[in-house]
Amino acid sequence: MAVLTQKKPTTILEKLNDETWRRKFIRNVLIPWLFIAPLLILHIYVVTVPAVQGIYMSMTDWKGVGRNANFIGLENYRELFFEDETFGKALGNNIIWMIFFLTVPFILALFAATMLSQIKRGGMIYRSILFIPYVLASVVTITIWKNLLNPQRGIGAALDKMLGLEGAFGIAYLGRPESALMSIAFIDNWHFWGFLMILFLAAMQAIPPVLYDAAKIDGANRWQEFRHVTLPGIRPVVLFMFMMVAIWSFLAFDYIFLSTQGGPGGASEVIATLLYKNAFFRFEAGYGAAMGVVISIFAGFIIMIFVTLRRRGWDI
Amino acid sequence: MKGIKILFAIALLILALAPVGAQDVTTVSMWFGEGSTLDCWGPIMLEFNEVDPSIQLEIVPQADTWNVTRTAVAGGGGPDIVRTPGPSFVYEMAQAGLILPMDAFADEMGWGDFFFDWALDLGLVEGQLYSLSDELETLLLYYNTDVFEANGWTPPDTIDELNALAEEVAAAGYIVFSHGNASWRPSNEWFVGEYMTQIGGPHNVYKALTGQIPWTDESMVNAMEVLDAHMQAGWYGGGIDLYFTNDGATRRSMFADGTAAMNIEGSWAIRSLGEYFGETGQDWDWAPVPSHDGTDYFTIGMGNTSSINANSPHPEAAAQFLTWYFSPATQGKMLTNCRKGPAPVTISEEVMGELDPRIARVYAELSDASANDRYGYTTWTFWPPKSDVYIYEEVERVWTGEITVMDYLEGLNELFAEELAAGDIPPIPAR
Repeated sequence: MAVLTQKKPTTILEKLNDETWRRKFIRNVLIPWLFIAPLLILHIYVVTVPAVQGIYMSMTDWKGVGRNANFIGLENYRELFFEDETFGKALGNNIIWMIFFLTVPFILALFAATMLSQIKRGGMIYRSILFIPYVLASVVTITIWKNLLNPQRGIGAALDKMLGLEGAFGIAYLGRPESALMSIAFIDNWHFWGFLMILFLAAMQAIPPVLYDAAKIDGANRWQEFRHVTLPGIRPVVLFMFMMVAIWSFLAFDYIFLSTQGGPGGASEVIATLLYKNAFFRFEAGYGAAMGVVISIFAGFIIMIFVTLRRRGWDI
Repeated sequence: MKGIKILFAIALLILALAPVGAQDVTTVSMWFGEGSTLDCWGPIMLEFNEVDPSIQLEIVPQADTWNVTRTAVAGGGGPDIVRTPGPSFVYEMAQAGLILPMDAFADEMGWGDFFFDWALDLGLVEGQLYSLSDELETLLLYYNTDVFEANGWTPPDTIDELNALAEEVAAAGYIVFSHGNASWRPSNEWFVGEYMTQIGGPHNVYKALTGQIPWTDESMVNAMEVLDAHMQAGWYGGGIDLYFTNDGATRRSMFADGTAAMNIEGSWAIRSLGEYFGETGQDWDWAPVPSHDGTDYFTIGMGNTSSINANSPHPEAAAQFLTWYFSPATQGKMLTNCRKGPAPVTISEEVMGELDPRIARVYAELSDASANDRYGYTTWTFWPPKSDVYIYEEVERVWTGEITVMDYLEGLNELFAEELAAGDIPPIPAR
């Protein structure tokens, strides 16, 4: 009876003196935090602290050498958005890059995955062949394609020779401002789309076959099956990859730097290559850090859109 | 049991004595790019270890050496000998207190006795010596002698002669200059610096570098317009778009097999020309890059510099290594064995006599040019970092027709003025 009338602890002192509360606190709060503490400390050390430092550095004139960094407030950001024409151009190229990668590889991957999901025997060979480019290092892929696209000894030159034409296909795709960015996107996509295809194929295989049977009984054709069964079934994976690809588009660097270094004449410049040049060639590390922060803000904005959609009930 | 005790005692004795032995030897570390250069330079540099056994050089191969070095040095570590890609990089490190002033070592070890005067001046930051320049470079007009002989051509002396010859070369179906920047985009700057010196004149470049005239001066506008005209004519690499896609191997091959007649490139190219011409059986020679008035001007550049890390526990030993490394004897040996561009020091005539006469002539001419006010400036050695990047990045926009020569030079002028005001200009030898 005494237990029933015992007062529930409300102040911190009362709680600390209460044995039941103490045990609960240790079991439900303290021990889980202790378990996660090593990882948390590591995360703070290698992610949070450098990230905060990066934000601070973006507000300094740090040259990337030594420790002299004067605080200059938002000056780097002002220059970035209101003075630096190359940044605007690079941002535009990033947006073109994003539009390309949110369409071309998705269409290719959806089509190939749908086709491959129908194959009962030997599908593994096709999957492997289409996936192999994804495991190649970017430097290898670029070297292969720089040779294939070479106007004098590449595929185009061979085609010209075979067809008796001159300069019809043997074009310096990477050397022309109007085609450089799209040529690199083509090369990157050659390596990337197989990865998307495997993800979509795995998602398609998780769709219960009974749904396709029901659709067939209802008289659905192939397109209607794809439209009303396959697409809704893989939608979470597709939308998640949409988010990831959009974020990755702002991080594009290696393929561009290894093929044209942003040229010719800045035609394939993106924010990440510009950041690298500012930080490591022009000794403008603070300014480069500001570009890094801007990329992070864009990524955060994209994530926010997806989180908002999820909160509104989208199945992402 | 007794045997085990004796063995134990011997082991303890060895352990106790080992550190004493180790303390007697000072190790000087140096980080160096991996690859064929190190394969040839490394064994010669390690000969230092026989000179004074109490100081041992340790060479650590590193990929992307400069970026690794500056990160390590900024973090308080790194090698004892800090190598940078040029004087403008030294300036930033000296300002940050990451490398040591070496004036006392220079006096004590007599560096002034074998370095050219202007060369030591290149290492000055606010009046103190922070670096020693290495790998003297200049740009040359290489030509395929087989192609020239077959067509009865001779190397041009003036820009007008070059223009006339280039038209003839192109009409005969050859590529005029075997070129391309696909392997190294900053190679654009070779031509900007060279045309400014040869057409604008080295004295005008000097005035612009010291802020006496703007980069939009008529002499510079004229130089850049000639370069643009040569590019638009397709003389470089066979066309602008091909220039942007030709890599190093392609341009060397097209020069060696006679597809191209000439090549404007640095003296470093000599190291690999033999390999390509050996395959084709043709031959090459060089001439000074033609100038507006026919005078043989040579632009001067430095491939890299050496300094002493401010965190080095034994700077004295590091300075002793530098004294040995930059001595005319060591530099001569590296020039003979590896065709390394020597540091700007006086190489003996005996060493020069052993060299391929074409190579010996490069350094003899350079020495003569620097003594007789016929030297010019390479952009990567004498321009501050932001202006230097601008020079090779933005010039592509001129060549692709996006901006005019005047837009380009106005942009350079604005950026250079900022760097000049900030005191970021590397030392410019007075003339």
